[in-house]
This record gives sequence, C-alpha cells and structure tokens, in this order.
Amino acid sequence: MRLRLQDVRKSFGENSVLRGVTFEVGPGEVVALAGENGAGKSTLTRVISGAHRPDSGQVLIDGEPVTFKDPQAAMARGIEVIYQEFRQNLFPHLTVAENIHVLDRERHFGRLLVSKKRMAREAQSVLGGLGMDIDVRRSVGSLGVAEQQMVEIAKATSHDLRLLILDEPTAALDERESQQLFQQVERLRAEGVSIVYISHRLDEIFQLADRIVVLRDGQVALNTPTAETGPAQVVAAMVGNAVDDFYPKEPNSRDDVVLRVRGAAAGRAFHGIDLDVRAGEVLGIGGVVGCGRSSLLRALFGLERFTAGTVEVDGRPVRLRGVQDAIRHKIAYLTPDRGAEGLCADLSVETNISLATLRRYTGPADLVRRGRERSACGDVMARLRVRAASPAVAMSSLSGGNQQKALFAKWVLSGPRVLLMDEPTRGVDVGAKTEIYRIINQLTADGVAVVLVTSDLPELVAMSDRAVVMRQGRVVAELIGDRLDEQSVLEHALVGAA
Amino acid sequence: MSPTRSTLKSVARQLRAVWMLLLVGVILSIASPVFLTSSNLLNVGLATSVVALLAIGQTYVIILAEIDLSVGATLGFSSVVTALVLRDHGLLPALAAGLGVGAAVGLVNGLLVTRTRMPSFIATLAMMSILAGMTLQLTSGNPVAVTDYDFQGIGQAYLAGIPVPVWIMVAGFGLFGVLLARTGFGRFVYATGDNHEAARLSGIRTQRVKILAFMISGLLAALGGFILTARLSTAEPTAGTGLELESIAAVIIGGTSLAGGRGRLIGTLVGALVLGVIDNGMNLLDVSPFLQSVVKGLVILLAVFLDRNVDALRALIPRRGPSAPPGSSAPDDGLPTVQPTPVPTLDPDAPRQQSAGVPAARPTP
Repeated sequence: MRLRLQDVRKSFGENSVLRGVTFEVGPGEVVALAGENGAGKSTLTRVISGAHRPDSGQVLIDGEPVTFKDPQAAMARGIEVIYQEFRQNLFPHLTVAENIHVLDRERHFGRLLVSKKRMAREAQSVLGGLGMDIDVRRSVGSLGVAEQQMVEIAKATSHDLRLLILDEPTAALDERESQQLFQQVERLRAEGVSIVYISHRLDEIFQLADRIVVLRDGQVALNTPTAETGPAQVVAAMVGNAVDDFYPKEPNSRDDVVLRVRGAAAGRAFHGIDLDVRAGEVLGIGGVVGCGRSSLLRALFGLERFTAGTVEVDGRPVRLRGVQDAIRHKIAYLTPDRGAEGLCADLSVETNISLATLRRYTGPADLVRRGRERSACGDVMARLRVRAASPAVAMSSLSGGNQQKALFAKWVLSGPRVLLMDEPTRGVDVGAKTEIYRIINQLTADGVAVVLVTSDLPELVAMSDRAVVMRQGRVVAELIGDRLDEQSVLEHALVGAA
Repeated sequence: MSPTRSTLKSVARQLRAVWMLLLVGVILSIASPVFLTSSNLLNVGLATSVVALLAIGQTYVIILAEIDLSVGATLGFSSVVTALVLRDHGLLPALAAGLGVGAAVGLVNGLLVTRTRMPSFIATLAMMSILAGMTLQLTSGNPVAVTDYDFQGIGQAYLAGIPVPVWIMVAGFGLFGVLLARTGFGRFVYATGDNHEAARLSGIRTQRVKILAFMISGLLAALGGFILTARLSTAEPTAGTGLELESIAAVIIGGTSLAGGRGRLIGTLVGALVLGVIDNGMNLLDVSPFLQSVVKGLVILLAVFLDRNVDALRALIPRRGPSAPPGSSAPDDGLPTVQPTPVPTLDPDAPRQQSAGVPAARPTP
C-alpha cells in the first residue's frame, strides 16, 4: 500500500475532529474523499501532509510508519497537497518557471548565478510532460485560475511524486477546465501516482474515483469501490442521522409575497433566478460554495449589479444601485464574514447596533440624541438577548454568538421587510445557535421575509419553510414539505438528479 | 469584564499624553523661573495654535485610517493666495479665497483617495509636492507682505487678554470636538475607520465621509495659514514646510491609533501642547534649535513606545499580594506567554467563505 492510515485521531482542545480514521490508498489508485463541511477532511489532509501531527494512530507510507516534522518533510517523501486556496502557495509576481522551481534548493541552474534559461527550459519540459502549453516566462499572476492550478500541479510533479492530495480542485474551475484537470488526474494515475481526491461534487467523484471514502464526524462512514455504490448511498453516508430537536422552528408564513425576483442575472455568477418570498416565510437556499447563492444575496443588497431581471418589495419595483437603495426599501443583510464585513470591533456594542439607523437618533446640528439611542438599543438587546456587560463595551469583548445577535439587533432595529442572511450561525456555539433560530422566529412572526443561505444542511432543512437549491448559478430545484430533506438538497446541489 | 473597561482604556490612552504634558511642565517650571508666567504660557498657546489646528484635521483623517501629508503645503499655498488676494481685493475676498483653496485641496485629496483608490500616503505626498511647487511659482519664491490691519489682527490682536489665535484654537477644538464625539457624522468617521466594509454595508456613504474629512483638514490648514501670515505680516512660501509631520506627531502623542477607529480630539490638543511646551522650554533653556528637533523625535518615540508597551512595562513592576488583576498577570519566568490559538482556526473543516465579491466558482455561461 502506498498510503495507510491506521486509527488516526486528532483533536483541538475539546473538539475532536478525527476519531479513529483507517483507510488505504494503493499505487495508481484514485480515492475520493467526501463528507460534509466539518467532517474532518481538511484536518486529515493536514495530518497526511505533515502540517498537523496526529494525537494517536499512524500514517504509513509504503508500509513504513512516518512522522513528518513539517510539510517539507512530507514533500521529500513525494507527498504533495494542492489546497483549495492554492493561490496562496504561488508567487504572483514571479514567472511560471520560477514558481515551479521555487523549492528546489539542491538545484541551482547555473554555477554562480541562477541561469534563467536553464530554469525555463526545465520548467518547459515539466509542463510539456504534462501536456500543458503555458509560456513559462509569464508571471503567474497574469494567468487564469485554471492555468495557475496547472502550475501548482507541475510544481508538484517536478519532483518524484508518489501521493497527490487534491482538495476541492474544481471549485474555481469551469466545466472545460475541469475536464482538463481530470485528464491530468488520469495521466498521473497511469504513471502510478496515488491520488486522494477531495470533492463535494458527486458527478466528479463517480467519474474519477476507483474507491470512495466518506468521512462523517471524524470517522469513516463508507469505504467502498466506486462500482459497488451509487450517489444515494454516498449522500446517505455523508448525512447520517441528524438530531433536530434544537431547531425551534415556528411556521409563520402568510400569503402575501414580500420579495419577488424575476429573471435575475449577474454576469457569470447567477442567471434566470425567479423567487417569491412571502411575509413570515423563511426561504432557504441550498447549494455548494460558489453556486451563486452568496452573489445573489449580495446583489439583492445592492453590493453587486444585476445584469438582468426585476426585483419587487411589497409589490413595488425596486432599483438596487447600492446599499442605500436596499436599506431604503427595507432590505437588510447579514454578512457571512462577521469580522471582515459585519462589525466594528473597537466600537461599542451600542454604536454597532445603531449604525444603520443612526439618522433616527440625530437631532438639530446632526447631534446624536444619546438617550433615545440608548433606550432603543437597550430594548432590542433585551428582546434578542444580546448578552454584554453593558451597551458601552467594545464589540470585540463579546462572544461570537453575542456579536452575531448584536448584528441581528442592528437590522431588527431598522424594521426590515426582507432579511437576507448568509451563514448566520457560522462560528457560533450551539446554545447561541438556538437563540438565533428564535430570533428568526420573532422576525417571521412580525411578517419579515427571510432568505437563509447556509452550508449547515440540518439548519437549512429545519429552519426553512421552503428551500430552493442552486447549482452553477441556476435554481435547479424547489423543495417543500416532505421533499425538503438533507438528502434531496445534497443530491440537487451536487448532481442535479431528480 | 467591567462595564466601562473600553471607556477606561481609551481615557487611559489620552491620559498618557496628559502625564507627559505635566511631567514636561514640572521639569520646565523647576528649570526655568519664566516658564510658569502667564505671558509665557500664552506664548506657548500662541506658538501651538497653528500646529494644533492642522492636527485637528489630521485627527479626523487618521481616525479614518488615512493620512494627510499635504497639510503643510496647503497652509503655504493658501497663505500666499490669501495674501495676494488681500493685496488686490481686500479682506473678505482674501479670507474666502484662502478657505476655498484649502477646501479645494481637501476635495481633490479626498477624491483621489476614494475614487482612484490611491493610498492616501501617496496621493497627499504628491499633493504636497505639487502645492509646494505652485506656491514658489506663484511668488517666484519671495514672501508676500501683508499690510491689512484687520487681517493682521487675526494673528496679533488680543481678546480679553488672550491672543486671538488661542481663541481660534480653542473654538476649533470645541467645534470639531463636538462634531467628532457627538454627531452622526462623527460616528460615521469612527465606524468607517474601524471597519470600512462594515460601515459601508450599514449604509454609510464611506467615500463621502472620507472626502469631508480631507476637506476639514484642508480648511483648517487654510485657517492655520491665516494665523501664521497675520502673525508674521507676511506670507512665507515655505511657511508650512514640516508642519505636516508636526501635526501627525501631535495626533500620535495624543493617543490616536494609526490603524484607525480610535482616538479623541482632546488627546490631539494635549499632544500639540506637549510639542509646544517642549519647543518653548528648550528656547527658555537656550538649547540649540538643532537639538530641539532631536528631542521632539525622541518624545514621539517615547509616546508610541509607552502606547505599545505599557502592559509589558506594567508587568515589570513587582506586585505585592493577590491584588494583581488576573488580566495583567505577567509570566514570572520572563518567557513570552503562549497565546492559545483562536478558536475559529481550530477547525479547518469549518465552512470557509471565499472573499467577498470573488465567486469561488465560475459557472459556464
């Protein structure tokens, strides 16, 4: 066996991510590694590549137990990882040739000074061996994403490559580019390289893999040759049995449509989107990262431009040229990245909460009426149970859950008709999650139309009255009632099967 | 967590400048019998007023996490324009022209920073060079004399025994202090400086906020120009040289963070006074003017050093008994405390969002 994992365990503090993982990869074998977010795929990758050390268990290469000090040590044994964020490993201002040879310490390409010609010649031959046609003198930053990925692969194969781990390699590629990548994978397999292929996309997995390993909650939930299984079985293994008693969902949906979207499109991000969201309804949007759902929310908040289509709020057409337009039409938006886009960490909780509605509390000469502001913030903080030592403490002193509740408070204060939320419970502990679901209930009880984008499938299924699934910029399914379950969402998101 | 901790912290930052001012003041009053006389203190106020006014605008700009290197050159340029208009057209057109020039420079700075996304360091550095050259071109390098009696009053007259420039400085800090601390606009300045994206997504017109801040900076530079020109009865083309750095120093000593989002105008006033007192003291003690610049540099270093390392310094002071608050406990072995990795990074499998605006996938059209 090229790679054997023997009861590998890894935890971070209280959080045990890998709980006894055992599987093997043979020479010239492609093993697909699947699992939901948080199942442990990335941690496993980092254990194999030497970025993390396992707490217990063994990693065996060619039957020999290894402990890698760092990823360089793993590379010396012919183990390479191409991460989803592979661009972080490339130097955009250096040429293709320089990037390919950047880690070659033993080869100097010249006696004293680096011979660029020799370097370029060797890089060209590496790329040629992979059947790629990229000018090695170009800077990597000037290449497209797919070409950059090819450079990363070439970098890996410029050494004696024995095991290649690809983490979501097609996430940034289009269909044609993906097919080119698959050809490279086939080529490497034919050369006897072992490949671990991590992907959310079932169609790719079934096209490429010899064997499929599914991780769930840090354990192997399925390990079977591809020929002996089908998408339904893989999805079932990924989902497992979810507990759903901490979702206090209340159905509040009424008949009147608040948000109506017709034929909406924005460049390549999404197109042909028709949506109706009713008062008090939670419309969930499922789909993998990059399917266009986050762009759709941003466009509905005026952050990205629609290139076609119409939007109506409460029956009135709305033009969304910027954030101010969205806010004026009572559309609110909770960003997926709380730290970068959501909160002003050094400012007080109160200041953060009143930020979007400050004009209501300013009087003559633009002076802020502190009393009114304080009482309004105090009310909404009590209603949403934002726990802070006082409204005057810095936002950064709050826990993730309370920060998120404070951001909810900011928009609740604005009295929205439509609340768009992208990953509202990311990085929030379990207790606070339930409180956030209660806030969503309060909002729908008030007749707010909620659009919920989340990668947390159980959450999507439990909190949505109705869900649509997006894939490659289109709505591919609408699920309601009995048909709204994790398995259907996943199937539509990944393969589009009926 | 005590309820007022963040407030206390921010007050403590300002207090460091106050302590510094008191310390320098005590030393000087011992070293020189003249220092504590009222006429000398008024001199300090008079000498500080111009830098202090520039530092007001600079505070706004720095809280926005930007910088304005052009204030000194703006002062020089608007002074010359004011003096030239004054000679030919009289007082009111001159004042209008001066303030107009200041505001226009600020507007251009603001537009460059917000619309072309040029770093403010670069944009205002270029503006500094352009204005310095235009000032010299306009005057052929010669000072422009000012003979208007009323205009001279701006710099030379007294009101209730206190020089007019000191009144202007006090009024400036009062007005712009209230604007920053009490108004909606002030809030938007802090929010934009703290987290530009978050402010924008809350509906704040962040570009407008930045443009206005640069315009405030330009206007106050013009006002500083009036005072300087009136005091000297002449508009000196190179009058503003180096003042941009002095104004930045005052802001930094006053405890405003260059990272943006934090700072108060009262701190800036104290910071400007620290610089003014040091200048004055060294003149009284007959220190070479060349060395004065060295001392000022050291003071800036000291202020920032204290700001960055006050916790480390506190840790060096031995504490008795169990009274040490748990938050400030220092490692006894002198080794750096190992910071626990922040929780969010513990789970690399947690869903990770692509950066805003860049779709992770490009679906086929």
